[in-house]
Amino acid sequence: MTDSLASDLKRALFGWFYPVRYNLERWAYALQRISGIAVTGYFLAHIVETGNVVGGLDVWSVPATSHAQDVWTATFQFLDNPLFDVGLVVIGFMLAYHTINGIRLTLTEFGFLQGRPARPDFPYEPKSFTKVQRALFWLSILFAVASAVYALNVFFGV
Amino acid sequence: MKESTKMLLHYVTGLGIVIVGGVHLFTVFLTGSYVQNLAFSGGQFSVIAVYRNLVLALTLELLLVFVDYHALNGIRVILIEFHQGTRWERGVAWVLAVAGILLFIYGTRTILIANALA
Repeated sequence: MTDSLASDLKRALFGWFYPVRYNLERWAYALQRISGIAVTGYFLAHIVETGNVVGGLDVWSVPATSHAQDVWTATFQFLDNPLFDVGLVVIGFMLAYHTINGIRLTLTEFGFLQGRPARPDFPYEPKSFTKVQRALFWLSILFAVASAVYALNVFFGV
Repeated sequence: MKESTKMLLHYVTGLGIVIVGGVHLFTVFLTGSYVQNLAFSGGQFSVIAVYRNLVLALTLELLLVFVDYHALNGIRVILIEFHQGTRWERGVAWVLAVAGILLFIYGTRTILIANALA
């Protein structure tokens, strides 16, 4: 018997997004999901935002250039806000992590960097999560931090 | 479409995004001040100049298609890992496919009109 949607959602929210008692691979997984959702949110907002380059949602033929310019300039002034800049720093972190960890996942999907199956012995480290994969995970964290620092410098000129 | 085909497309679009997304971030952040590059016009890589450049406009269209598929398929994967069942899985797939097509139409509208602006 399958569980109800509500109990599945509850278990997912408190299980998956709370990897504290689990190993590093589980952290990589949770972060990949969270960053994916965050960047999807940014993508939706970005499509609406860039739609204002030509004048917004109701423009479906070529408008007067002055109209497009006015709408875009107003949009850019609205977005020129430290709160949105902080959001972009977070998105920079998420996007950089998702990129490098995504490359790790792509490599494993096609059979590279896989650990050999072995008897699970203490301390029960996952054999599938090899040393190179661990290195790639930490590289993705490093790249994410570097991107966030770069974004801080661009938007706040530290 | 088979689940494995959907996932193959997920990896292919992911790698595509690394390339065309790289070009997009390069023109915004590494060709001069981003404030100048996000201004309507005036610079070599200002908003309208990028849309008018055929190669860069095509890059943006490719980026739209890749991210549209990758993002919505990613949401689909998350939702069908949350809960299983034919009705749920089909419903999720259809709703996200329609959302993806609407996003594609709106984004393509922006690129085509911006490319044609006087």
